[in-house]
Amino acid sequence: MQRLMPKIMLNFKDVVAAYGETNVLQGFNATICQGEFVGLIGPNGTGKSTLLKCLTGLLPLKSGEIMLEEKNNAAYSQRERAQLVAVVPQSFDIDYDFTVEDIVLMGRNPYLSYRIKESRKDYDMVTEAMRVTKTLSFRKRYYNNLSGGEKQRVIIARAIAQDPDIIFLDEPTSALDIHHQIEVMELIRNLNLKKSMTVVAVLHDINLASRYCNRLILMKNGQVVVDGTPKEVITEDNLKKVYDMKMFIQENKLFEKPEVIPLRVIKETETYRSLRIHVICGGNKASQVLEELEAMGHHVTAGVVNQGSDDWTICDVLSIPMVEESPFTSISLEKQEENLALMADCDFILISDLPFGHGNINNLSGLENLSGSIYFHKNCRNNDFTEGQLTKRLSDIKAKKQLVEIDDHQEFLEIIKKLTLIENHEA
Amino acid sequence: MKSKLKKHAMLISIIICMIIIYLCTLMGVTSISFVEANKILLNQIFHIDLGMENISVGATAIIWNVRLPRIILAFVTGGALALCGAAYQGIFKNPMADPYILGVSSGAALGATIGIILKFSSSFLGLNGIAILAFIGSFSTILIVYNISRVGRKVPVATLLLSGIAIGQTLSALISLFMIFNQNEMSQIIFWTMGSLNGKGWNQVIAVLPYVILGCVIMLTSVRELDIMLLGEDTANQLGVDTERLKKKILFSSSLITAAVVSVTGIIGFVGLVVPHIVRMVTGPKHRVLVPFSLLFGGVFLILCDTLARTATAQEIPVGIITAAFGGPFFVYLLRKRKKGGV
Repeated sequence: MQRLMPKIMLNFKDVVAAYGETNVLQGFNATICQGEFVGLIGPNGTGKSTLLKCLTGLLPLKSGEIMLEEKNNAAYSQRERAQLVAVVPQSFDIDYDFTVEDIVLMGRNPYLSYRIKESRKDYDMVTEAMRVTKTLSFRKRYYNNLSGGEKQRVIIARAIAQDPDIIFLDEPTSALDIHHQIEVMELIRNLNLKKSMTVVAVLHDINLASRYCNRLILMKNGQVVVDGTPKEVITEDNLKKVYDMKMFIQENKLFEKPEVIPLRVIKETETYRSLRIHVICGGNKASQVLEELEAMGHHVTAGVVNQGSDDWTICDVLSIPMVEESPFTSISLEKQEENLALMADCDFILISDLPFGHGNINNLSGLENLSGSIYFHKNCRNNDFTEGQLTKRLSDIKAKKQLVEIDDHQEFLEIIKKLTLIENHEA
Repeated sequence: MKSKLKKHAMLISIIICMIIIYLCTLMGVTSISFVEANKILLNQIFHIDLGMENISVGATAIIWNVRLPRIILAFVTGGALALCGAAYQGIFKNPMADPYILGVSSGAALGATIGIILKFSSSFLGLNGIAILAFIGSFSTILIVYNISRVGRKVPVATLLLSGIAIGQTLSALISLFMIFNQNEMSQIIFWTMGSLNGKGWNQVIAVLPYVILGCVIMLTSVRELDIMLLGEDTANQLGVDTERLKKKILFSSSLITAAVVSVTGIIGFVGLVVPHIVRMVTGPKHRVLVPFSLLFGGVFLILCDTLARTATAQEIPVGIITAAFGGPFFVYLLRKRKKGGV
């Protein structure tokens, strides 16, 4: 029975909390069970840290309630609560010279009354906590003289010494380099797995959250947007709702977890006259040029691209209209016609850096009859598997109209910028 | 060797304290010979008679009823002020905090000023009216400051400090106003505010001692929580400290001690501010060590300052001047040394 129904450790029911008049939490609901590793994600100012303040009794609720191990959180004394919940704050400094052992020993405070001396058992627990976090070797050093990663481990050791049921981490990795980020996350995962501690972590790094947590809660404006497994939560639709920016999501093949690749937030500051530009692509090299053209505000189209290629992904993410073909198939006549139609009223056509073979050479058919200027990336010649067809097609085009050859995509972007920039001082 | 020294540091310090108390009792303006003074002490404390017939009653009175109670009062006062300073610096997390920071001293001074102007000379339990008014003044000041800063159940530290300063300034202005209109008493009021142990006897020691003992007990039961408080209030809460209760406890016990001490001795500055810092440089920030050593060192420091105050010149100097004159430069020296990595 117990295995079927895990114990509910934390239950947030319609939690509303405020600083003064502004409500920061506006009806937060979540139930967290024993042994879960929950990541709280969401943009700054959505109430993640406020949630921590409410949980630790520092901020009274305006309405709703928090049940901590089946008892109302408000009914606990600080001491009782500290025996159940340990908090690992963002890295912090102390103005005083405490040794590592002093700091970890403070974790025993909730269990000690006015007795002045700590017992043997307290010291044993502190030693164990330092052993687990690999801080034992510098127990006599001053906390202030440690590096950021070491400090964070000491604070985690203090939380372990508290012998809590729930450990709450507030951005535990935000001040650390990648080595120490992974070290801290692995340490926490071990606590979660080996000591079956319930972990709730506020994380800004979505990819770390996705990798280590078995459940994510995405928050905005003090409410839950989505709550589920990383695969359910980390989708473009969800993240776009919350973070106002361009990004795309792919599966990290190593961890089999979704991974976010943020693209850009700031829109181009300069304004450009909008053109219709078609990019012939379909490999894995045109992502950047597609993205920058789109960001400049041009009407970008693409084709013919095989589904699943990198260029296809970026078009999909940026909603660039394109002609698609099934993966690993040659471009059909139908798709080729469709592509020609898409290019018909374009001002510019870019033949991007792309390997040509028998399957995609017909991308270039009929270009000579179009009105737009055609730009060709020279490097295509180095990846020509068409046994002469590419050269022939190019000379056919050249016979009818101008074909500008470029060395790289950046050159094309510069040309477009120069042509379309609207001078600011005129406006 | 070093750890053994550390282990017995408290014991060694206590012994040094006793020796200093003893030596200072022998020193004074009235010349009483070394042998005579020792005979008087042995006779009074241990009732050992080594021939008291040649010793005048006056000499006995000077040693037993003037010097010794004064030195013990100096010890208790200095120790109490340093103790409160250490606790305040802990809960306020502010190195500028001293026992007077919440206006206790100004309240006491106002009470004393009123007492002096009204020539309030009746006494109660061996204490004169001025001391009693000073006590009332200081304790009501702390109540006012506390209630001004209170927001619901909580007392934010920053508000507490600021309202303490505001009330302190207001009361000082009132004192100045009283002095302007009562220029005859002005010098007496100024003398009172400079603090002195002159003319204090066993009555004062007995009046102050219970508060100080009570305060020490409260402080010593709060040492771990005071340590944790240094990590900040939020962290302290998360580690199971009821910070509001702790603040209240420390605030009221140290106000009580300070009020008791100030009303008897006047405002002796600097001990409560500097001694905890000096001790912290040696012992580190842990209150379990800091609090008892502050008590001892504060006591000894004031004994030495007071001995200087009463023996340096024929005209006695108020001890508050000595504490500031010596404590200030000594503290600056320590800060410089620490900056160079000396301590």
